[in-house]
Amino acid sequence: MRTATVLSALVAAGLTVGAATAEAQTPSASIQATATVLSALSVAAGNNLVFGNVTPGVNKTIAITDGGAGTFTVTKAASSGVTLSFTLPTNLASGTDLLPIGSWSGAWNTSASTAGATAFTPSPAGTNTSVNAATVLTVFVGATVSPPLAQPAGNYAGTVTMSAVYF
Amino acid sequence: MRFQLLFLLSALAAAPSVAAQVSITGIRDLTFGPVIVGIPSSVGPSHPTKSGQFRITAPLSSKVQVRFTLPDALAGPGGAQLPISFGSNDAMAIGSAPGSTPMTFNPKATRNPQFQPSTAYDVFIGGTVTPAGNQQPGSYAATITLTITNF
Repeated sequence: MRTATVLSALVAAGLTVGAATAEAQTPSASIQATATVLSALSVAAGNNLVFGNVTPGVNKTIAITDGGAGTFTVTKAASSGVTLSFTLPTNLASGTDLLPIGSWSGAWNTSASTAGATAFTPSPAGTNTSVNAATVLTVFVGATVSPPLAQPAGNYAGTVTMSAVYF
Repeated sequence: MRFQLLFLLSALAAAPSVAAQVSITGIRDLTFGPVIVGIPSSVGPSHPTKSGQFRITAPLSSKVQVRFTLPDALAGPGGAQLPISFGSNDAMAIGSAPGSTPMTFNPKATRNPQFQPSTAYDVFIGGTVTPAGNQQPGSYAATITLTITNF
């Protein structure tokens, strides 16, 4: 009986000691929450893509360096890059008559000149510019129309849409 | 009997402190990246690269309480403040044991993960920043702290 009592007391004492070693601790660690606020992005239409007169059966190309090239202007934050995405027509229309258009070409530059511009192929999938310090980009667009020999005469037009988002 | 008592006492005294074996490490920042003035931007806790991440390790069957200390704004240029908020599902914990199921929880509330069968947990956090229309452009940051109380 005495042995059992002593054992109980010692066990109780031992458990008390054990509990003291497991006293609450409050380890902690920290991370950062970060964000970079950019100014609003805007896109403005510039020059229309103009082919002028075309001859049935003769393809006509407007290069990005030509006067008839289409242009857009992107206003963005400095030290940022943007993705340029296009909705491109496959035909120009004159009433119900269609004039095929394709072979799109493009270039973007931090100035309003094609000299030193970076070429790309406009597409719905989008093209990333570089991350650059400029706050204005000029985008140039060219293409080729392919009138068949039986192309009806008329004025043809279509809409080229460009969108830009930060990446 | 005396030997048995001494052995029992020494075994209890030598038992390692559970508290000493709990650890927590910050693994990854909560990164919103570029956000545009006037447009709120959210990162979910399950985002593979942008969510914040901590790792907690503890002995099997440990009882701990997890508590975030959250900012209400990120600090930016010239003292500018970018509001940040945390939704009720913006935290997530997943154990290291095979087959562990992610558990979402409110980062503004405490959480008591069970270290059974996992002995490590990854705790992820997302959130939403809400730049004002006239928010000052620039880089913003704030600190998120995760604290463990080990019972």
